[in-house]
Amino acid sequence: MSEYASRVREFIVSNFLFGEDGGNLGEDDSFLETGVIDSTGILEVVAWIEEAFGFRVSDADLLPENFDSISRLGNYISRSLAQ
Amino acid sequence: MLVHDFLLESGNRWPDAEALVAGGRFTYADLLNASSSLAASLAESGVKPGDRIAVLTDVPFDYIVSYFGTLLAGGVFVGLNTQTSERTVLKLLSDSGSSAVLTNRKFLKFFNTSRITIDSLNLLASPGGGVVSGIACRDLNEMLHAKTDSSFVPPIIESSALAQIIYTSGTTGTPKGVMLSHQNLVANTLSTVKYLGLTENDSVMVVLPFFYSYGNSVLLTHIAAGGKLVVNQSLMYPNLILDQIIKERVTGFSGVPSTFSLLLNKSAIHDNSFPHLRYLTQAGGAMSIQLADRLSGALPDVPIFVMYGQTEAAPRLSYLEPEELRRKPGSIGKAIPGVTLEVLDQSGGPVQPGEIGELTARGENVMLGYWGQPEATAEVLRDGRLWTGDLATIDAEGYLYLHGRKSEMIKSGAHRIAPREIEDVLLEHEAVLESAVIGVDDDILGESIVACVVLKQSDACSEKDLINHCHRILPAFKVPHRIKFCIELPKTESGKVKKTELKSYN
Repeated sequence: MSEYASRVREFIVSNFLFGEDGGNLGEDDSFLETGVIDSTGILEVVAWIEEAFGFRVSDADLLPENFDSISRLGNYISRSLAQ
Repeated sequence: MLVHDFLLESGNRWPDAEALVAGGRFTYADLLNASSSLAASLAESGVKPGDRIAVLTDVPFDYIVSYFGTLLAGGVFVGLNTQTSERTVLKLLSDSGSSAVLTNRKFLKFFNTSRITIDSLNLLASPGGGVVSGIACRDLNEMLHAKTDSSFVPPIIESSALAQIIYTSGTTGTPKGVMLSHQNLVANTLSTVKYLGLTENDSVMVVLPFFYSYGNSVLLTHIAAGGKLVVNQSLMYPNLILDQIIKERVTGFSGVPSTFSLLLNKSAIHDNSFPHLRYLTQAGGAMSIQLADRLSGALPDVPIFVMYGQTEAAPRLSYLEPEELRRKPGSIGKAIPGVTLEVLDQSGGPVQPGEIGELTARGENVMLGYWGQPEATAEVLRDGRLWTGDLATIDAEGYLYLHGRKSEMIKSGAHRIAPREIEDVLLEHEAVLESAVIGVDDDILGESIVACVVLKQSDACSEKDLINHCHRILPAFKVPHRIKFCIELPKTESGKVKKTELKSYN
């Protein structure tokens, strides 16, 4: 797992699984399908990324291909930082 | 006329027209056949007119055909909130005395427990069937598709009969089941179809859940008009909603203030155009003038209908004509066709223009009462009127303005939340001495939930401990967004917490 994906997992487990064992949440599991995050939760994720990684998340980037699993989010952060 | 006649008529008139786009494309004939099949299966299973059928599913097709199938069988539809907890589900099943639960696999965990001791419950159905905790679970798909050529004849039902129970958060935290008759729902649906000018050429983007009264109204009005429902009830990715509005040539969009706030703040709405969109409706709380202006700016040619209602009124009560939005900012308009609204003082007399009173309603849409709660019913149904609990003024031209509620309900997103329920859950934590829960203004949600907590001993627990505690018991949307630790809570001489004062600190 990439460093970014690990940090994403840590954030999701701590803030959305309320400390419950995050072992059941796979790297590629959809947040939408599993119901881990809802529409306000995704805004918290955006705020966290902007604060923790120091770049602005464009409204147009708020799509499942960028946000809908631990691995997709990790890749999105990695790509955005490389730009 | 009965509620399911809407589907029977549209299904016979436009059998091949698309009725639903959600995880597939479904015609009116598809909806009608599955609903009829389910009705026959329910009747065969022993469901009798007046029996309550609880439905807990996030699959739009299953929800809709369960709705109409239940009514065709003469049953009473009880749609449960899918953002729920085991405690809530069991409470509502028990309160409604439901004899059947139609659900999908993801919710079977609520029934996979020995704690199910609801005597009335004798049928559980879910796609695929199986055995859950010793209860035989029937295959819902089989019930929906097995009997398209059935000779099943729907029982004869009076229009005054109970059709649906919609649970709302009671002010005390005990849910109240609003009883709506066929007549209530038919009257309100036809009135709404009329003032929105809905026809079979309309299609609506549905982001609102069907189990709340606003989404229920969107469902019924479009089935009545023969229109199309395009359903995507997650607002997690607002850009996907915009794409669907364009691709499906959607003509109408219904939301609460937080829906529009989310689209304006977190989507590419400004980079798109929506040539087929002919109207927006907004209800579920007052739209601020700033939000209305921003929405008009983003969608300059799309009329906005600001509407007001209550579940107790099936639900629509008033609307503001779009052309009056600028001249009457902040108004909820005037009564819809067939409804009489009056602002009355405590003695029941009309107030003067500009004077605050309680908004009251009369009309065929006013509920039968609260299920099993005659006292709560008598409090709001008095003198042939529904007393809404909303404080309002009326101007010289008859336009209505809301000025808050008599109760303390928090409006967060599309939800109504009773502070009392959250306060009681916080008190279940061993470290908590007192708690007061309030709604605090929030740009996106309308209000966010803040719990002011006094601990028995300072540092006895952390904010995270209390959030986790709430999360274990409450559905996620009722979990406080923030816990504020206080040394004491401000109180009146009679010992009542001064929530207005707490709000002013936050």
